[in-house]
Amino acid sequence: MRILIADDEALSRRMLEKALERAGYEVTSVENGKQALEHLCKPDGPRLALLDWVMPELDGPGVCRAVRTRSEQTYIYMVLLTSKGSKEETVLGLESGADDYLTKPFNAEELRARLRVGERILLLEDRLVEARENMRFRATHDPLTSLLNRGAIMDLLGRELHRSQREQKSTAILLGDVDHFKRVNDTLGHVVGDEVLGEIANRLLASVRSYDFVGRYGGEEFLVVLNGCDPPYAPGRAEAIRKSVSNRPIQTVKGPLALTMSFGVLLSADWGPRSIEELLHEVDTALYQAKDAGRDCLRMAKPDAKTEAPQAALPQPARRAR
Amino acid sequence: MSEEIKQVTNKKITLGNEIMTSREIDLHEPAWNQAELLERVDNDRELVRELLTIFKEDFPQTIGSLEAAVSSGDLKNSGSLSHTLKGMLSNLGGARAAAAAARLEELAGAGEIAALRGAFDDLEREAGRLLPELDAYMAEVRR
Repeated sequence: MRILIADDEALSRRMLEKALERAGYEVTSVENGKQALEHLCKPDGPRLALLDWVMPELDGPGVCRAVRTRSEQTYIYMVLLTSKGSKEETVLGLESGADDYLTKPFNAEELRARLRVGERILLLEDRLVEARENMRFRATHDPLTSLLNRGAIMDLLGRELHRSQREQKSTAILLGDVDHFKRVNDTLGHVVGDEVLGEIANRLLASVRSYDFVGRYGGEEFLVVLNGCDPPYAPGRAEAIRKSVSNRPIQTVKGPLALTMSFGVLLSADWGPRSIEELLHEVDTALYQAKDAGRDCLRMAKPDAKTEAPQAALPQPARRAR
Repeated sequence: MSEEIKQVTNKKITLGNEIMTSREIDLHEPAWNQAELLERVDNDRELVRELLTIFKEDFPQTIGSLEAAVSSGDLKNSGSLSHTLKGMLSNLGGARAAAAAARLEELAGAGEIAALRGAFDDLEREAGRLLPELDAYMAEVRR
């Protein structure tokens, strides 16, 4: 594990380095508090630190206070080294944000034991962060396809809508539906249906850029948001995404399946002052038209210039023939 | 601990209504506690030699700067330099000299300019006891 030593006194620094190298730490040493702060605030900086109390530029408690104000960082476990012995000073050191303190002259074995406490705290923090990230992923992703789920893609679409309006950029919304998917489930079973959805998710993701979004909107419906997509290029890109599904069969446990998708497409140039729900209603109408036109195609939404409230806030996929 | 085994520094520092007792130098304490230092560094004699080399390089300059600060009544530098020496000396196992440096640091912190010279002389005397022991160790390990 990496550890930072900050001590202006060469003799003390060397003692610390040796004691910690012997314990297997990867040691970085600096001579003042300012340098210590620079190292600790790096994104990949050390997460364990031994800080002398009295140092030039910035003292140990000052480093602790500065580190603790940076809440976006992962936790850094900091031990103050002090020859100060009073209770008041100990309290002051801990109140500055230090996790522990060690009185000079230190004993190497005690130092290592205290740092092991720090490592346990950091390990606990890592586990908590990992658990939180897992929960966040589960809350925002579809378990079958690992795509963004409906809630997450709607959030991102909302943010993208505001951003594109603010920055005068073009965005395209694609709502796609797997043609005749019900037949797959009815004739080949849900296991094959799940395989199909997983493979389609992979193909959609592979056909967009890293800063575009793909989400599972519901059932066999997928929402694609193309950021920074200039209107003249949008139909071509939407067509390429559609063909990524139809251009080769999907391999399943019951054999290869030739499947297609239909898409409704809406360009930001045609958005006007509409809400997300209204925009999705428009793109769903275009998808409905693509289905009516024989499927395996896309239709561009052409919203009426006037703003009229839709019948329902959200699209009604059930009304469409699959 | 009885009075006869302590050389209690002969001054008390008055801070407002409080009396702060200055640090004491234990005469039973050896000038250099080599065993204690070895224990703290996992009996690494090579490291002790390296530490003494660093000390021999840094000490003359630091105590020279401290003497200049004391002579000119520079409380800030007297305090910070005696703090540095206190750390170096205590890390090396020179508890008596470290106690003398600590007393000087306290006096500087309390603004006792008149008492600085006497405390510096105490420190110099304790350092004078310590340095020959360190030199002897260095000579021994070189053999």
